[in-house]
Amino acid sequence: MYAVRTLRSQPLRLMLTIGGIALCVILMFFLFAVYRGAADGSVEYIRQNRTDLWVLQRYATNILRGSSLVSAFQGRKIQQIPGVKSISPVLFVLAAIKKGDRDRTVFLTGFDPEKNIGGPPHLAAGRNVSNDKEIVLDRSFAAKFKFKVDDYVQIQEHSLRVVGISTGTNAFVIQYAFVTVRFLQTMIGFPGIATCYLVEVDEKNALAEVTSKIRRELPRLEVYDHETFLENNIQEMRSGFLPLLYTVAAIGGIVLTVILSLLLTVNILERRKDFAVLKTLGSPKGFLRWLIIEQALLISSAACVVALIIFFPLVQMIEKISPEVSTKSTVEQIIAVVIVVEIMSLISSFLSIRRLRSIYLMEAFL
Amino acid sequence: MKKLEDSTRVVRLSDVSKIFGSDEHKTVALQNVSCDASSGELLLVLGPSGSGKTTLLTLIAGLLKPTSGTISLFGKNIESYSVKELQQIRAMRMGFIFQTFLLIDSLTVQENVGVVLRFTGKIRREAHRQALRLLEQFHIEHLAKKFPRTLSQGEKQRVAVARAIANEGDLIIADEPTGCLESKQGFEIIQLLKTYSRDQNRCVIVGSHDLRIEEFADRILRLEDGMLMESV
Repeated sequence: MYAVRTLRSQPLRLMLTIGGIALCVILMFFLFAVYRGAADGSVEYIRQNRTDLWVLQRYATNILRGSSLVSAFQGRKIQQIPGVKSISPVLFVLAAIKKGDRDRTVFLTGFDPEKNIGGPPHLAAGRNVSNDKEIVLDRSFAAKFKFKVDDYVQIQEHSLRVVGISTGTNAFVIQYAFVTVRFLQTMIGFPGIATCYLVEVDEKNALAEVTSKIRRELPRLEVYDHETFLENNIQEMRSGFLPLLYTVAAIGGIVLTVILSLLLTVNILERRKDFAVLKTLGSPKGFLRWLIIEQALLISSAACVVALIIFFPLVQMIEKISPEVSTKSTVEQIIAVVIVVEIMSLISSFLSIRRLRSIYLMEAFL
Repeated sequence: MKKLEDSTRVVRLSDVSKIFGSDEHKTVALQNVSCDASSGELLLVLGPSGSGKTTLLTLIAGLLKPTSGTISLFGKNIESYSVKELQQIRAMRMGFIFQTFLLIDSLTVQENVGVVLRFTGKIRREAHRQALRLLEQFHIEHLAKKFPRTLSQGEKQRVAVARAIANEGDLIIADEPTGCLESKQGFEIIQLLKTYSRDQNRCVIVGSHDLRIEEFADRILRLEDGMLMESV
């Protein structure tokens, strides 16, 4: 009660502090939401294109930041290995789509539409590509550059009709676009070339046997089962993203702790006479300490509530202004941020509690 | 904590001196003071400003340590109490009235009284219930939800007394309780303390420079420049 009353006695200061901390909390919510959005967008393609084996050039571990070239000859050799049911080539190329006088880069993904694998993980509008004159664009890319179904896009000297809009294909810094593998091979001038092959086996329990056969027959290729390949790509995405995320989140956390410590310390110093009186009247140490901890927890909890109220409309607004910013918030990550904020507020209170030691009992009589 | 049953010596000072600072900067606040106070009496420590009254009161409360001499509180040398024991003694067996009452502005009247009861180990609801009963005894229950800044000096003094006696302590220490009051209000607060001392058999020690309240005291100690000049 005393904690609440003390805080309420300086309403403007309290509001500014809650506001400052809420902004730090929003920053953390936002970073994690962007991370989750980018993480999903980066690997959703692999997650949804569930196949038995991914075959790449030797030493290539992922498609996000690795290069791999597999020839048509190697593809045919894979197909001939006993136990292999079907193969499907996928080719990834960074390409520029022309929009007015500017080029917009996309992660152009060529796949075989007849194989029903390697294409967009989800379609939000339109349909999948069926011939070499068609393209499917990522939703945020299409929104940002105002492309819609039935529009035509220019890639190099080729004009392609937009037939579909996909989701789960926004990797934050770049977006996927889907064309036929044949078109893409022609465009780059290397017929038959692929980045990787998606392989299905006849019998799922013969996976290890087929894997070792491919490795034996084609030692210049690398073979991954679906889960391992997915994990490789997740790790690759994390290694590029997480250090930045943690750095900015840590700065947010430090700012939060400093703001809160400052408020609590100022409160203690301003009310040192009250604290001296309480000490003289026989207050146990724990009572006064708990008072500070209670204040810290109250402020941080209020800030979390404010942050939650503001965060979702704010994200909607940001996504409207910048469609390439794709966020995803989960209950788990919100709970994690709230727990971190409460821990930081406890640290703030412990920093401020040290001030209580400098208040002497005699001060009540001065 | 055990309460005193009968008329007992609550505090005894033997040759107590208190010196602040050292060498050429030292200030002798009290010099070889010996006195005692028992339950059921109101002891008035009289003296002008700077005579050492507050130092004497804070030594008795265990807030300061004497430079020399011994202080016995509730029958035991004060030096033998640990910091925690002294805190418990202040919470359970002592009450305080400060010169400007020092009620806590951000708490209501009821909470100001209740907070002392919390220190005795009572849960908040019980402490506030008991605080309200006490305010009723002082006929100020209508002030329970008010904040100190909205009270008159007279109302503040009653709340301060209620807070001081809330824990039914054996010893009340009041530092210049009439200092900021008009004579009528000053007499009233001393009368309240006198009644409490007599009816409840408690020891009340009042430090004051106000000669008008001499008549209420059972005994008077006159202090001047830190020395005990007279004990009446």
